Amino acid sequence: MSDLSARGPEAVAITGIGAVSPLGNDFDTIATALLAGRSGVRSIDPGEFAREARQFAATVGEIPAPPAGLADAEAFAGLTRYERLCASPVAHALADAALPGDLDPARIGLVLGLGAEHLKAWELDHLAGGGEVFAPRAADTLVHRLARLVGIRGPAATVAAACASSGYALAIGRVWLRAGRVDACVVGGCDVLSPTALAAFYNLRALSRRGDDPALASRPFDIDRDGFVMGEGGACLVLERSGEARRRGARVRGELAGVGMSSDAAHMVTPCSDPAEAARAITLALADARIAPAELDYVNAHAAGTPVGDAAEAAAIRLALGPAVDGVPVSSTKSMSGHLISGAAAFEAVACLVAIARQAVPPTVNLDRPDPACRLDHVPHVARPRRVRMTASNSFGFGGANLCLVIRAA
Amino acid sequence: MHARPSSAAPADSQPVGIACHAVVEARLSELPRLRDLPSPAPAPALPSRFLRHADEQTVVGLRAVLAAIASHPLPPPSFAGYGVVAAPCRAGRFTAAQSLAMLREGGGVTVTPHVVPQCSLHSLAGAVSVALGMHGPNIGAGGGRHAVAEGLVAALALVAPEASAPAALPGIWFVATAWDDEPALDRTGRPQGGAAPEPRADDPLCRGLALALVADVANGMAQPLRLSVRAAAGARPARLHDADALPADARRAGVGGTRGPEAFTAAADIRGLAVALGTPAGAWSLRCPWGDEIRLESPAARGASDPRGRREAA
Repeated sequence: MSDLSARGPEAVAITGIGAVSPLGNDFDTIATALLAGRSGVRSIDPGEFAREARQFAATVGEIPAPPAGLADAEAFAGLTRYERLCASPVAHALADAALPGDLDPARIGLVLGLGAEHLKAWELDHLAGGGEVFAPRAADTLVHRLARLVGIRGPAATVAAACASSGYALAIGRVWLRAGRVDACVVGGCDVLSPTALAAFYNLRALSRRGDDPALASRPFDIDRDGFVMGEGGACLVLERSGEARRRGARVRGELAGVGMSSDAAHMVTPCSDPAEAARAITLALADARIAPAELDYVNAHAAGTPVGDAAEAAAIRLALGPAVDGVPVSSTKSMSGHLISGAAAFEAVACLVAIARQAVPPTVNLDRPDPACRLDHVPHVARPRRVRMTASNSFGFGGANLCLVIRAA
Repeated sequence: MHARPSSAAPADSQPVGIACHAVVEARLSELPRLRDLPSPAPAPALPSRFLRHADEQTVVGLRAVLAAIASHPLPPPSFAGYGVVAAPCRAGRFTAAQSLAMLREGGGVTVTPHVVPQCSLHSLAGAVSVALGMHGPNIGAGGGRHAVAEGLVAALALVAPEASAPAALPGIWFVATAWDDEPALDRTGRPQGGAAPEPRADDPLCRGLALALVADVANGMAQPLRLSVRAAAGARPARLHDADALPADARRAGVGGTRGPEAFTAAADIRGLAVALGTPAGAWSLRCPWGDEIRLESPAARGASDPRGRREAA
């Protein structure tokens, strides 16, 4: 057994990025869209089951196939759309990391945040006339099938914390790396639009009903916000221990410097009005990264555009950052990407890497009149050029799950 | 074919102690009663009607946590700082089936808003956290046939000393649930044959397992049971960037998954661990799909008995 206690915490590098999103499917395209304030929200075909005015969402167009040689093209083509949405960023993140071809695949892990894999699979099957939901058969979950698809043979796990799911995947992968259980880990998550989820969130009164102009519907922190806009897509990152990544000459995009996790323990559905636990997640992440609040250059807020959730998060940010809060720009990229649900946290980690790479803070579009209950240093409408080295990204989920990731420049 | 030597040797995990544990077995017909059953003393009472919209596996899993707390030989400590990793298997299937049937019949307006928050992979972990006031992270894990392996590996990683978190968790609850045989549902999403008024031998059985895992195995309580992960030995030769290097069965599985008459292994894993926990000399190990081995160290080697366990049939 190795002496883990002597090893101590080690920085974790982000060496690969793969994404499928309403704003593009590669880092540069996504960066350009985010900094241009471009919305990915559009009208959608309501399908045969939609009878209410919810025919808009942030959708993904073409799903890129894996790079040649990284996965069996025929196998990829045989996957369902949901499975391809998940497989594509896994494969592209691996390709982007350019891991050495002789790296033992048993030392590569895979952690995916997939909050409703079964619901999506059952729904697809049901709509195609199948009966899997009524009498399921034994089958491996997607994470194991994707591991085989791309040749990963190390630990593989699905994690879920609703809208924070893919952020917890990053957290678990980082722990595995620091404990020496893997040498590289693909982490992230993805989601797909589904009639059942759309209907459920609509009936929960969580979705925006501004059907007249879809691009204006997602308006986090705005006083006229009325709910979030469903999106699909997500992202995967390749994590490695920083020392080894640098020794092999990897392109290090940034470092996952801190993770903070907590639970409100208040309600299964409703965001907690007491900001203490959400603020504690932020504080824990900053402490883990060994930085003070004033050292943050950007906070990517979870803010989905719900009346209660945005105000609760603003209070949590203010509580956690204290007097430094007025000097730290905050934006919600969900105003452009929509809410990618399971994939949101990983995609927003990519947004932080965009801010670092382009030295500019992405805006919150549609923020015409900031809600006084959400008083922060907002970045409305247009990106703000700024030196960005240290960022934080918040994610919150049903069941009171709170997560904050600190991502810093390499 | 060569495998590059790893810069860090495959690392076994530090052992983690089990402070208390319990197993609950409930038949489908017993679940309505279990939703409203008072907590066993001295476990805390649940909020009124807390489980009204909860998934069936949430009912059983939360009951297992309550039973484990009740089994604690000392006045149970505060669990406020604990986290929760919960690994249900195909959670939410009943509600999903009903929602899909209603969606087809009556459109989106008929879909229950509870299907996502109460009947998803995260829901059991969230329910344990909310019901018992636990402020550590709450995470769902697994979801399928390898749920126990995935959940345990995630839980052990978060609570083990090598996690190196700034605010180390005092402990974490691991909860696993699964049906021995997945109940067949009719086309409205209800169990075929309806719910039996009384338990029957052929009534589907749901198992719930709860373990309170603590990192400090050397504390004054001298935890008699320990869990650890033994890393897979040796490198396995396969190139990363060449799908052709994979065995044919793996390539096929990448397309459609492994289908067939296999047992639902999550239920078997829960059953096996439950048996070991209930036997002073019981030993148990679980081979993960990626080769690691999760091992339960029983107190038998130290000649101790384990008072910290409870088995409850609903």
